[in-house]
Amino acid sequence: MMPDDRTMWITMGPQHPFSHGLWTLKIRADGEIVKDAEPVIGYLHRGWEKECENRTYPLIIPMADRLCYSASMTWSHVYCKVVEEAMGIELSDRAKYLRVVADEMCRIQSHLMWLAAMGTDLGNLTVFLWALRERELFLDLNVKLCGQRLTTNYPRIGGVRNDMPFYFERDCLRVVNRFEKMIWELVAMMDESSIFLSRMQGTGIISRKDAANYGLTGPTMRGSGVDFDIRRDDPYINYDLLDWDVAVCKDCDSYGRYKVRMEEMFQSCDIIRQAMAKLESIPKTEPTRIKVPRRVPEGTHFARLEDPRGESLMYLVSDGTDKPYRLKVRSPIFVNVSASKHFVNGVRIADIPAIMGTLDMCLGETDR
Amino acid sequence: MVIKYLDKFPKGRNARTLWVLKPMWVTLKKMFKTTFHRPVTIMYPYEKEWLPDNYRGRPGLIYERCVGCGVCMRMCPTKCIEIVDSDDNGKKVQRPQVNLGRCMMCGYCAEYCPVNAMIVTPDYELAAFTREELIYGPRKLAWPNPTPGMEVHLEEHLLSDPERGPVAYHITDRPELNAGKCIGCTKCVKVCPTDAVEMQTVGENDKGKPIKVPKFDVSRCICCENCVIECPKGAITIKEVL
Repeated sequence: MMPDDRTMWITMGPQHPFSHGLWTLKIRADGEIVKDAEPVIGYLHRGWEKECENRTYPLIIPMADRLCYSASMTWSHVYCKVVEEAMGIELSDRAKYLRVVADEMCRIQSHLMWLAAMGTDLGNLTVFLWALRERELFLDLNVKLCGQRLTTNYPRIGGVRNDMPFYFERDCLRVVNRFEKMIWELVAMMDESSIFLSRMQGTGIISRKDAANYGLTGPTMRGSGVDFDIRRDDPYINYDLLDWDVAVCKDCDSYGRYKVRMEEMFQSCDIIRQAMAKLESIPKTEPTRIKVPRRVPEGTHFARLEDPRGESLMYLVSDGTDKPYRLKVRSPIFVNVSASKHFVNGVRIADIPAIMGTLDMCLGETDR
Repeated sequence: MVIKYLDKFPKGRNARTLWVLKPMWVTLKKMFKTTFHRPVTIMYPYEKEWLPDNYRGRPGLIYERCVGCGVCMRMCPTKCIEIVDSDDNGKKVQRPQVNLGRCMMCGYCAEYCPVNAMIVTPDYELAAFTREELIYGPRKLAWPNPTPGMEVHLEEHLLSDPERGPVAYHITDRPELNAGKCIGCTKCVKVCPTDAVEMQTVGENDKGKPIKVPKFDVSRCICCENCVIECPKGAITIKEVL
């Protein structure tokens, strides 16, 4: 620091209420204005990728669940997807739609977790409680479908763990219908509150060009007006057969990212309803899981899908044995948080929690 | 811009005049509702939540079915299962023992168990005062009333559809012998938990002694791969049938 420089570095985190997880945001502040920022991550590094090299292929699925506590379904899904692509396996339709239902349930509950955290970031505890109240119903559905609330362990290489239980369809549709009514309460608490709007609108601006250049993905990118969603542009598990819209907002600010996530929840409800209708037309005798070989043929493969937070990708190098030679994880938050300097440049310190909250941080997958 | 939910949303003057009254009205309504509504929480230790059939709690064991093959031990991602000596009516047998301090309730032991002896139980109250209490021996792993839903089958469903009925579990992989490598040590016979391997004389060597190679009884084999692991010369492999 230059002696005549009036700026100073402030370290926010790792034990700071704004950082959802263990990470540090070092900011250079001139008075109250942020001039520069630098994210420091790695507190939660546990050698996930190296651990995988000592395990056979099926044993990695429960570990992939633990990459992120609220997006466990999509992470184990992307792992199963890459192994299926390496083995050249085509799933049955029933397994595909079951995965759609599970993924979208995961997306809704993950976005609700984000909304709850967003509420506490802005000092609105009511939103926190109400969002978690709604989330609880989706976790109960998770228990019914997969057997556990968070660490679902549901996708398997070649299908899913089990078919949906009896009456699951009824319960799922009831929860979704109720959720679509109750979410308007949350909307009333957020979108109609001028306090919320004044903290969200016009802060954390990242332009469309920057969003694409920094490699942002997911709602963070779509909130800046980039119209890209892997579910539509690189369709997997029959997303192309369902009728839904990609939520895109050209606001480019925190409020835009908020709106994209809220809209995605409504769209996910639609997708669940359609997938349930499709599941009804598929005979229940169709297998939900097919037998797969133990060994993966030699080669490199990657698979990507739309996580609630962005584009999650896994890259697999197999050497023909029953253990992966290398498994690389591309985490969406790792890339999004790397651009945090551009998010907070020029804003006031008090706005940082509101801006970084819209990224939906999850450090389990970032540090691996 | 595809943000549809805002279209259904009261916009313009009306929304603006109610800028703080609307959220307050919503919370006030909720306050009255929760005051007179029955409680949404449950009094936990006295009443417990209803659990679905495929709830994955701690692993359990149906002692009579177990053959002690050790598949659960090898499939456990956290290596919390150990095969220990146990006493079955005076007979010395091998049975799994689970260290619940490490267990992450993934249900793989139940899923991969070839004889459906390992089950997932709906037991989630696992707090203990010492670490030794968390090590569940074969007898402690038992669950009083195991229902078919607690068995998880490898290639099959759970009890998703009652009309569909149970589907028989088939183990299709088979051990295969490379007779050229076999030295006739009979280790595979000793290690087989279901006595599916027996030595068969196939000929005589130069000194007139019989050459014996193992033969696998397909109807009894559960494909536990113990013979594959035990074989000193790597003569036995698993032939996968897809």
